[in-house]
Amino acid sequence: MSEQRKPRVPIKPGFFTVPDDPNEAPKFLGTRCESCGEHFFPRRAICAKCLSENTADVEMEGRGTLFSYTFVHFPLFGSTNMEHMDGYGVGQIDLPEGPRLQAPLAGKQAEFKIGQQLKAELDVLREEPGRDVVIFRFRPVEAAK
Amino acid sequence: MKNVAVLGVGMYRFGMYNDVSLGTMSREAGMMALRDAGLSFKDVNAAYVGHIFAPVMSGVRVMKEFGLTGIPIQRIENASATGSAAFREACLAVEAGHYDVVMVLGFDKMTAMIQQSSAGTSPENMEDAVLPAAFFALWATRRIHERGMKPEHLARIAAKNFNNGALNPMSQRQAKEHVTVEKVLGSRMVAWPLTTMMSCPIGDGAACAIVGRADLAKKLNPGRPVVKVVASALQSEKYAPGHLFQGPVVGPFQMSVDSSKQVYEESGLGPEDMNLVQVHDAFAIEELEYYELLGMCKRGEAEACIERGDFELGGRVPFSTDGGLIARGHPGGPTGLAQLWETTLQLRGEAGKRQVENARTGMCHMMGGGSVCVIHILQRG
Repeated sequence: MSEQRKPRVPIKPGFFTVPDDPNEAPKFLGTRCESCGEHFFPRRAICAKCLSENTADVEMEGRGTLFSYTFVHFPLFGSTNMEHMDGYGVGQIDLPEGPRLQAPLAGKQAEFKIGQQLKAELDVLREEPGRDVVIFRFRPVEAAK
Repeated sequence: MKNVAVLGVGMYRFGMYNDVSLGTMSREAGMMALRDAGLSFKDVNAAYVGHIFAPVMSGVRVMKEFGLTGIPIQRIENASATGSAAFREACLAVEAGHYDVVMVLGFDKMTAMIQQSSAGTSPENMEDAVLPAAFFALWATRRIHERGMKPEHLARIAAKNFNNGALNPMSQRQAKEHVTVEKVLGSRMVAWPLTTMMSCPIGDGAACAIVGRADLAKKLNPGRPVVKVVASALQSEKYAPGHLFQGPVVGPFQMSVDSSKQVYEESGLGPEDMNLVQVHDAFAIEELEYYELLGMCKRGEAEACIERGDFELGGRVPFSTDGGLIARGHPGGPTGLAQLWETTLQLRGEAGKRQVENARTGMCHMMGGGSVCVIHILQRG
């Protein structure tokens, strides 16, 4: 890692935070329904459950439980990161607040196990002049036994 | 649904056709369906066209191949379920008495689409990271975890569909020799545990159904069994905890359960009355789950049924008799109409080497990404 860190920008704004500290996990930008309490990701204006328009923006911690996973035997589309060339993990992750996400996984297939705890991190999808374009992915908190 | 029949069906075999236009494929499928019905294009009151990847205006442009008669033409699009959704609109219009004869035409050139740039790895639309094969591989991993499924079960479904496809001249994939479980397992891994042979191919093609008043069917072809459409359902997603909003979505499981309940209720029939079933087997794990979701066996029993051969030709209720999406192919717009082509031939007793004995009732189930579920029940009248 070079000392001179380029600014990191999300592949698309409005979905996750990009903390200044590279060791800090990103937070997910979601919605809580003020009428029924249901949480959603991505953000939405109307509650999908009770149809209330009384919704609020929330930030959800970048951690969750692995619901299912696979390992894709193709390079990750649009990535210039060598780590993505031999394939990559994909998972469905349940956030503690309820929403289920789909995201790339960091690590080898043997490290994934349904039910394990994961934490989110930002991953450089491609390096551009003066900035790194990042997406989120999840990594096992502890490698599966 | 009481007064709707499939009057005719036609197909342009799915495949990779660099040099064949949408117009040519569609004209040949459409003219085949009209001839099959004993009708000419002059008799068609309206047309519903289904295409996913073809450019804007393709529907009305392609329909000019048949002649310019001024009929209403509408495009329907619902991802993989496009052809099925267009078929449903035609059935509803005939049942409501608006038209006597409607053409439903589906076409696509998926090979041309693949060359365009795609959606990108964007957080709300993970389509390039969570490829369709990966999305359904997540179903498979979960099934292994919950039910002890083995990749061999998926391989057996795929092998069945390849071998059914070899009995169907319209199937895109034509296996030269009997396909075994070992061969499917040995094919290239796409997204663990799904291999290429457990996955449908891309392709081009067209398919057509002529839908009309049921009383016309007997008049037009007095010597042939009438194939009636006895139930139709289309459902979008209902919210439940754990719902996926982001990324590609096909499902949730409950959609197939609810849609099948609707068609069973509408027709007064149950799963035990189905003699054959076509499903959205884009990946073998889907067909496995649909055995249970459509009520063909109890929850958790799919693996045991596969081991017994319940869903093979000659089994209790054959699935994907024409090869399914895995062998017959899945170009997009025409796919659902290929299921209706197969079911119509089966119910008339015209399915050749893959004929299901005494087939009286058949189900066609399609999923469309986004997502929707479309189901029809056809019955020999």
